[in-house]
Amino acid sequence: MSKIAYINDEPFPFEEGVTILNFVKENKNKRAIPTLCDAPNLDPFGSCRVCSVEVALQQGGKTKTMASCHTPLTEGMYVYTDTPSVKKLRKNIVELVLTDHPLDCLTCEVNGNCELQTVAAEVGIREVRYPEGKTHLDRHKDHSHPYMTSDLSKCINCYRCVRACDEVQGQFVLTMAGRGFDSHIAKGIEQTFFESDCVSCGACAQACPTSAISDVFQSKSIAKAKTTRTICTYCGVGCNLEVATDGSNEILSIRAPYEAEANGGHTCLKGRYAFKFYNHPDRLRSPMIKNKKTGEFVEVSWDEAYTYITNELNRIKSTSGPDAIAGISSARTPNEENYLMQKFIRAVVGTNNIDCCARVCHSPTALGMQRAFGTGAATNSIHDLEYTDCILVIGANPTDAHPVTGAKIKQKFMKGVTSIVIDPRRIELAKYATYHLQLRPGTNVAMLNMMLYYVITDGLVDENFVKNRTEGFEELKEEILRIDIDALEAITGVDRNLVREATRAYATAKAAMEFHGLGVTEHSQGTFAIQLIADLAMITGNIGKPGAGVNPLRGQNNVQGAADMGAQPHQGAGYLDVTDPEVNHRYNTFYKREVPSHIGYKIPEMFDAAINGDLKALWIIGEDVVQTDPNTNKVIKAMNSVDLLVVQELFMTETAKHATVILPGASFLEKEGTFTNGERRIQRVNRVVEPLPGTKPDGQIIVDIMNRMGYEQPDYTAAGVLEEVSQIVPFFAGVKWEELGDNGKQWPVKPDGTDTKMLHTDSFKRGLGLFTYFPFQESKEIITYQKDYPYIITTNRELEHYNCGAMTRRTGNVEILTEDVLMINPDDAAKEGIADGDMVCVESPRGKVDIKAFVTDEMKPGILSSTFHFPEVMLNIITSDEHCSEALCPEYKVVSCRIRKARKTHLRKAGELEEVH
Amino acid sequence: MSKNLSKLSGRKGLENNLFDRLGSEAAETGTIERSTAKELADEYLMGKANIYGVTTFYDFLKPENKGKEIYVCNGSTCLLAGTQDDVYHKISEKFNADQIGHMCCLGRCHENSSFHYKGRNYSGDSINKLDEIVRNRSIFNDDYHVEYYGEQILTGLFKGPEAVRDVMRKAINMSSLQCLEEIKTSNVRGRGGAGFPAGFKLDSCRKEQDDEKYIVCNADEGDPGAFSDRYLLEHQPWSVIAGMMIAGFITGARWGVLYIRAEYPECIRVCENAVRDLVNLGLLGERILDSDFSFKLKVIKAKGAYICGEETSLLSSIEGQRAEVRVRPPYPTQKGLFQKPTVVNNVETLAAYTHIINKGGSWYRSIGTEKSSGTKLVSLDSFFNRPGMYEVNMGTPLSYVINELGGGFKTPVKAMHIGGPLGGLVPLGEIDKINMSFESFSENGFLMGHASVVSIPQDFPLIKYLEHLFEFTAAESCGKCFPCRLGSVRGMEMLRKSQNEDYKMDLELFTDLLNTMEQGSLCALGGGLPLPVKNALAHFEDELKPYFG
Repeated sequence: MSKIAYINDEPFPFEEGVTILNFVKENKNKRAIPTLCDAPNLDPFGSCRVCSVEVALQQGGKTKTMASCHTPLTEGMYVYTDTPSVKKLRKNIVELVLTDHPLDCLTCEVNGNCELQTVAAEVGIREVRYPEGKTHLDRHKDHSHPYMTSDLSKCINCYRCVRACDEVQGQFVLTMAGRGFDSHIAKGIEQTFFESDCVSCGACAQACPTSAISDVFQSKSIAKAKTTRTICTYCGVGCNLEVATDGSNEILSIRAPYEAEANGGHTCLKGRYAFKFYNHPDRLRSPMIKNKKTGEFVEVSWDEAYTYITNELNRIKSTSGPDAIAGISSARTPNEENYLMQKFIRAVVGTNNIDCCARVCHSPTALGMQRAFGTGAATNSIHDLEYTDCILVIGANPTDAHPVTGAKIKQKFMKGVTSIVIDPRRIELAKYATYHLQLRPGTNVAMLNMMLYYVITDGLVDENFVKNRTEGFEELKEEILRIDIDALEAITGVDRNLVREATRAYATAKAAMEFHGLGVTEHSQGTFAIQLIADLAMITGNIGKPGAGVNPLRGQNNVQGAADMGAQPHQGAGYLDVTDPEVNHRYNTFYKREVPSHIGYKIPEMFDAAINGDLKALWIIGEDVVQTDPNTNKVIKAMNSVDLLVVQELFMTETAKHATVILPGASFLEKEGTFTNGERRIQRVNRVVEPLPGTKPDGQIIVDIMNRMGYEQPDYTAAGVLEEVSQIVPFFAGVKWEELGDNGKQWPVKPDGTDTKMLHTDSFKRGLGLFTYFPFQESKEIITYQKDYPYIITTNRELEHYNCGAMTRRTGNVEILTEDVLMINPDDAAKEGIADGDMVCVESPRGKVDIKAFVTDEMKPGILSSTFHFPEVMLNIITSDEHCSEALCPEYKVVSCRIRKARKTHLRKAGELEEVH
Repeated sequence: MSKNLSKLSGRKGLENNLFDRLGSEAAETGTIERSTAKELADEYLMGKANIYGVTTFYDFLKPENKGKEIYVCNGSTCLLAGTQDDVYHKISEKFNADQIGHMCCLGRCHENSSFHYKGRNYSGDSINKLDEIVRNRSIFNDDYHVEYYGEQILTGLFKGPEAVRDVMRKAINMSSLQCLEEIKTSNVRGRGGAGFPAGFKLDSCRKEQDDEKYIVCNADEGDPGAFSDRYLLEHQPWSVIAGMMIAGFITGARWGVLYIRAEYPECIRVCENAVRDLVNLGLLGERILDSDFSFKLKVIKAKGAYICGEETSLLSSIEGQRAEVRVRPPYPTQKGLFQKPTVVNNVETLAAYTHIINKGGSWYRSIGTEKSSGTKLVSLDSFFNRPGMYEVNMGTPLSYVINELGGGFKTPVKAMHIGGPLGGLVPLGEIDKINMSFESFSENGFLMGHASVVSIPQDFPLIKYLEHLFEFTAAESCGKCFPCRLGSVRGMEMLRKSQNEDYKMDLELFTDLLNTMEQGSLCALGGGLPLPVKNALAHFEDELKPYFG
């Protein structure tokens, strides 16, 4: 039975642990007690004291004044929220605050939306009675940063920014400095925002109750007509955004809703601030066809473009067959558009040559987890971080690539949850981890075998789980016990005792939660490593319970959804096997067309087919394969080999430059649909502004072409397409546009609409979980080239930029991080005569690039790392054709190279490639 | 308080303690340089901002402390005695103004004229030997009456490692539960000021299930006028340390921290030596006296912040954080140092544990009053004919302490500020009503606190003393809660303005300010200041009247 306490003598039930403030807020209203230092996503702090109430232990009894925000409620408490005494106290405190606050409300950017202003009005301040005294009104404004601003004369010392920087982002950029009346907010050591280590997440600006800390978009201003809730377009975390517009198609600012389950009031700088690409002058605003003679693009009408494409596709289809046509769908676009693209390729063109960028990121995850569990998606939810005792992060750098989830993981690491990082780089999380296993790139399989070995030899197997839930254990055990631990220790370069200790920590935790990223998948043994991770989770019973599981951190906002919708050549919508006759029948009936039952090209196979002449037409939506797929020169050759290259894009990307026809698509802010985040959460993307003149939502473009090619497909609406999807994708059965709400639903969604936070609780999708052993196999890249190319370069991501950077490079982010750099260990740098900031020539068997050196002990000797966000570097010139033997995911993470100080001292211009051979 | 910073600091524990590091890094120049802040931030996985924020919080770490050579005491008793103008004048003949800093209360209240030079405190006539002090680093120990009236406990003989060995042997033979029972039976209340039942605190820490617990001795006695902790740490360190060991034995803590204010360098030296002796004899460390009890002890030197006397600020300080007051709950016994169960006890309380274990809880309880058992140390300042340290049974009449033990005043005194700056202002006319016990002071509208007695001479304007109290609070406020951070300054400004300008204070506004601080402040600093001010308004209405409109 719940307990009872009283608000102004009225009884209300409550649960143990609630604070007086939250109790009153829940039962009265959110503003029943004024506060200044309290914030929804921060721990109670108790600095402003404005939330004081009187508390008695019996009705009308002797009262004590207490701050309600940090006082826990107890049985039988009588809380008096509005006595003359507390009303006076609140008023007097706010009066004190106003003695050191500018009185320029009317010209302040937060006028009308200032918590101090609101509270001052609520408590009834009419005048400040104190004589003029010392103030801090002469503090300087800080406009140094592309996004963050401060005017600390407006600061009321509530610490909300400091706490947000600490408790939400975990960055420790802000502090209070000085003592008493002189205490003031400092960034770093009295630096500006730009000079400081600020990561521009904006948590402080959102937390600040006044305009003391804000941003260039003045996101707290209420001089805006309307806000729209939508989902971020960048990574797979799926942050909810609240976008403010002025009513005339202009986006003003973005904030993070506190009640959002995916991000709880937080975003990173990409989600919150990097939106100005949407109406950038560089946006493509007209369809264009390349003049074959001049090589110039010529603007055409949509009709002309459609006619050209339709004619070409029909021609190619009739002369070379439908398999000479392929499509690459976009994991940046909504489920509905992905569904339509694969439907167009399968049902209208008549081929299974459809793939998406999951190929180059998590295809091994999907395949490996399907093999082991039956489902290729995260088993648990991010919220399970609250229940875990051990976190294993392998081949992922979430504080850069998945910043909101990364920040949550970092919080757990800092608070001392047992933590293991397996990564060749000393990434940010590794610094806080209990164990960092800094292995050589490409040796995940060896490392995982070592871990399985110690689970078995140290008697840490969860016998019950293995017996009741799995198969293949004895075979695995037999193989694992045979491994040569000396050899694997040498291969990984990690001390076996450290591996053993980390294994013990993972295996003995009550619930251990695994996260992985492309550092696992983008290898020649990517799928095998995933299966071994599944082995490790199953052998320790870490599946199907809270705080555990195998959890891929999906890269693109909707890469989960793109695969779910069937944008892959071997499985159609809903992961159904295209070669299965029953499935084929089902698709044929549903699409009312004959769909082929042989597997189509995967992306690398498309490039090969284009080069050897088998592929004549390629349609790419929102994917810059030239800049981001490996071995750039080969990709360009493929692009130039096809008769028809249709590129549906926002910008003139490196890929678009090679197009035959360019179709200007629309950004996420201009269209509707659903994105599915990395925890299978299907969330509504709502249109914030109308598409720019001359552009169209990508879904409508596909519908137009489908109709022109003789297939009747109704005009694009999210609700309409989603209804169609729910009829063919089994785990979308209960998904309805109107019922998704603000926080969406996690698939599988049953026909009655109930969703699923955790998979495999009682049984696996495939019945029993499958153990499989794989021996370590050195990558061919290393075997073939190590002698002449002794360094290994591995690729990574930076916080500020997203993939090819087409969007982020057209926002203020580019002022924060201006270029790709080469991370190199100080010993290597010294050996090669390279100083920090020097231009370095990195050469692989494929080609060479010049790039600026960043000397850092985050790298081990012999290992280099860089990004491919900038076309000025085009790092993928040097990456290889090696790929996962099973899923064909390229091996971006292991590239043999050699380095020397470059002769050039500056970068090439974007797009200026030089032939290497 | 940041949980993250607590935990990150806790990773390095006490062996490589961040706060200690800050002290040693600042030893050379008097502050933490930027490059050092960066290195420390990297080492402790924090932000540069955190290191900087901490640096700027403490008087002896902050950038303004750079280059300070000599410090003049600016505590209440030295102010009231009027000795410090002369001290400053003599010092400034030898030092530049930017080499001279201030320390608030060196605890030489029995003779004043106090100053600090290169790790030594000086008082009384020493200022006249400044040449010699600077030339030879000469040491002049201070001297004062130490007497007892009633039972001699804290001032009695308890000396050397042998005494510690004996009491610990006794404790270990008794079992930790029995030791706790003795403390509970004794009914000893915390001597830090609040009078919280000590046995209850030990018990609640003992009940926490955690392998890692701490005992912290709060030796940050910063109350101007109080020097009882200084007496114990300099002359009775063995009983204090044994008390910490007993508390560790009872609660299951394996680490103790003796946090001593930088203004008491002699205490630090004495205690460090005592700890070293005990370690060498195996009386601190693993398996003490061949038992399962292990206990290590670290002496940490504070860096100049009165607020660290507040227990949660003290914990943040040890962690190398800004010493800002934490909200309660969670209480330190649940989540204290490094977020682990911790007992924070005052020096005098811990010393009492030792004697309670030695002689039994019932014996201790038989001394004093029903609600205040045992004895109490009382510090008498230089206005008394016999200044010094007096141990009296709880319940001893205040008038006896003043007139008989202290021998009355040298010069006319109108009131006494008893129990520190946040204690009550007791007019001479009230002393007959009061005896030395928590309850007697509180029933009469005052506070026993540390039982330090600061005399306010007849000719010292009370308005000036009130200004001094506000100024002290403003200087020492951690700045976290609004009422204290802002109220202390606004109060100081009003009081100053009323003396120096054609300005009369609005009594309603001034009363509102006092009520706001009293009701609203997060801790006893802002919350306690109004007591003496209200006492003054009540008892010295005539003297203060001209300043109000």
